Amino acid sequence: MTGILTAKSASIDPTTVDPTPTRAAVAADPRRSDRRRGRPRWAIWLTLLVVGAFAFLPVYWLVVTSLTPNADVFAFPPRLFPTTITFEHYADVLANPAILGFLGNSIWVSAITAVLSVVVSMYMGYAFSKFRFRGRASLMYFVLSSQMFPQALLLVTLYVVFAQFGLLNTYQALVISFTTFTLPLCVWMLKGFFDALPDELIEAAKIDGAGHWRTLHSVILPLAAPGLVAAGLFAFVRGWNDFIFALTLAGPEKQTLPPGLVNTYIGEASTAWPELMAASLITSIPVCIAFIALQRFLVGGITAGAVKG
Amino acid sequence: MSAQLSRRDLLRFSAIGLGAAAIAGVAAGCAPVAGGGGAAAPSKTPAGPTDFSFASWGMSEDATKAALGPTISSFAKKDGITIDTPSYPFNDYLGQLTLQVRGGQFSGAAQLDVAWLASLAALGKLTDLGSYAKGRGYTPAALNAGQFDGVQYGLPWTIAAIGLITNTELFEKAGVSNTPATIDEYEDALKALKGLGVIPYAASTKTAQLKDFIVWAQTFGSPIVEDGKCTIGDAASVDAVTWYKKLYDQGLITADVDRGAARTLFSQGKTAIYDDAPAGRAGVLKNSSDPELGSKMAPIARPVLKKGDTPQELLWGHLVVVVDGKGAGTASDFAQWLTSDPAQEISYFSALGLPPTTEEALAASAVQANPFVNSFTELVTKDAKASALWQFPQYAQMENAVAEQVQAVLIGASSPKDAMKTAGEQITRLIG
Repeated sequence: MTGILTAKSASIDPTTVDPTPTRAAVAADPRRSDRRRGRPRWAIWLTLLVVGAFAFLPVYWLVVTSLTPNADVFAFPPRLFPTTITFEHYADVLANPAILGFLGNSIWVSAITAVLSVVVSMYMGYAFSKFRFRGRASLMYFVLSSQMFPQALLLVTLYVVFAQFGLLNTYQALVISFTTFTLPLCVWMLKGFFDALPDELIEAAKIDGAGHWRTLHSVILPLAAPGLVAAGLFAFVRGWNDFIFALTLAGPEKQTLPPGLVNTYIGEASTAWPELMAASLITSIPVCIAFIALQRFLVGGITAGAVKG
Repeated sequence: MSAQLSRRDLLRFSAIGLGAAAIAGVAAGCAPVAGGGGAAAPSKTPAGPTDFSFASWGMSEDATKAALGPTISSFAKKDGITIDTPSYPFNDYLGQLTLQVRGGQFSGAAQLDVAWLASLAALGKLTDLGSYAKGRGYTPAALNAGQFDGVQYGLPWTIAAIGLITNTELFEKAGVSNTPATIDEYEDALKALKGLGVIPYAASTKTAQLKDFIVWAQTFGSPIVEDGKCTIGDAASVDAVTWYKKLYDQGLITADVDRGAARTLFSQGKTAIYDDAPAGRAGVLKNSSDPELGSKMAPIARPVLKKGDTPQELLWGHLVVVVDGKGAGTASDFAQWLTSDPAQEISYFSALGLPPTTEEALAASAVQANPFVNSFTELVTKDAKASALWQFPQYAQMENAVAEQVQAVLIGASSPKDAMKTAGEQITRLIG
């Protein structure tokens, strides 16, 4: 018993100790807390398992399909674990220079879209957050209302405009069209972030003699870095995933991954599912790396502005 | 916040935003591609061959690209010209091509599904290829497939049909004849096949492909369109959907089947019959674990309501059309060469198994030696007709109206009579 503090050794009569745990202790014990609220732990685990299965099973199936020989892909009943594994679909994808071209186009266009969206929305978000001017609220909702139009409607309009300006089949057409979609949400996201920054910072900068430009770039933006990263990632992913704008406006040379993969692997009479899955997996790696590298900013950026003060 | 934005500040921040947009736009930059003119051009090119575009979905699919790429290159090299080859996925092709043509951004040759001819011709920019069709030996049926309103807008590239394809091994196992001639015989065959534990007939039951039902309605005697008026809702169409529902209720056809699912079921030996064009055969064989499946695939004529009737078969095929404008003359020469040069036709057939369209090519030994294509031509394609709805640019909405109503019957949400009446009314409204 040496070295162990017991009730007896501490001269405490166990019979006099109230066995009822304190409210704080109950709150600290997750098992008791769950039981009191009628949520046994197994229910939580089951829920997590179901949600996890929904989230990860498609990815698992994508991997399995990409490793399965053509003749086994549609085997019935479906096999959760493939009996034969092949890497030939990955080899086919990597040997196809067009896929790498689509990948390069996607990275380039999505990155420029992200930069453009962040830069423009940064100034707009700051103006909406920190300045008061006539029509401010109306303008904000007008910006947001552009999200309400159906894509197909905007597509035809943009197609006609780009044709007039000779911008069809160019990267510029893609960047501009993607940015029209990303800007409103980026502006609102960053406005919320700027709202959370105390006005005293700006006033202190003013007292020190800084103008709007200096205040924004030297004081506000460094603090807003997580918000900028979050907005940039949102814009990047929006550009990365777009299908219909890229298909219509980019032409064969500037096509990005979504239309490029569909064009290559989904045919009139058959779909090359294993190759499509392998290509999807390979080309999703850059986005995964970007998310992993920037996820701490992303979490901070998304929750920024949720609580003001 | 106490800051007040002055007009000067507002202008400054706006200018920064716009400036950034311009800079990023430039940074994005490759040289812009000028839009096409879209102006009408003569079909002939007295000045000699000129560059043109050839739009297709074939140049985006691996199998067809391998066959088509060298063909296009050889034509371009022969004339010392450049042929641009924009390509779009099959499912998005018509929409993309329509946008390009309507916007004046595309001229030249274009691959086209036979079902899309009316939709594209309605834009008024297709060239009359009547003079290019003469003396080339196209079969009358193939030539007819490229006509709209009596004008030869398309040259036939490959022409076949969507017919019934069977697994002869399963038929033998079930002890039934592989040639059920009438609806009643067909139904008996399906019941026998059900005893094997397979889906007897992988008929379309998903809305996306339920337009296949139209050919069954014709089999029961509905003309679909007569004298410019929709006849769906007549007794024959009601009988047809009642029969389809009966097959469904008896488990002779099953739920959630579209063309892709039917091909998969057939490739796995899980169904004995499905509807397809010859173009689908390669994909079915590629995805099958049975190396002998190819020899077991056999087309049959669609059963008729009573002996002596003509089987109803739906035309399927690809055309080459020419959109007027820059390069249209050389594009027309190319369309003619691609679709009727015997060496070219046979080479395309050998690579892809797609039936050619001229008498000479059809008689070639390479074509005659292919039993599947020969049977298909003899049993199915010979009776194939364009859908009665394809004459209307809104044909896709019309097919969808029928599909939705048949679906409603299958799931028990509507009676056959009400459903066909509704479909007929919807189509009548679309005809206008």
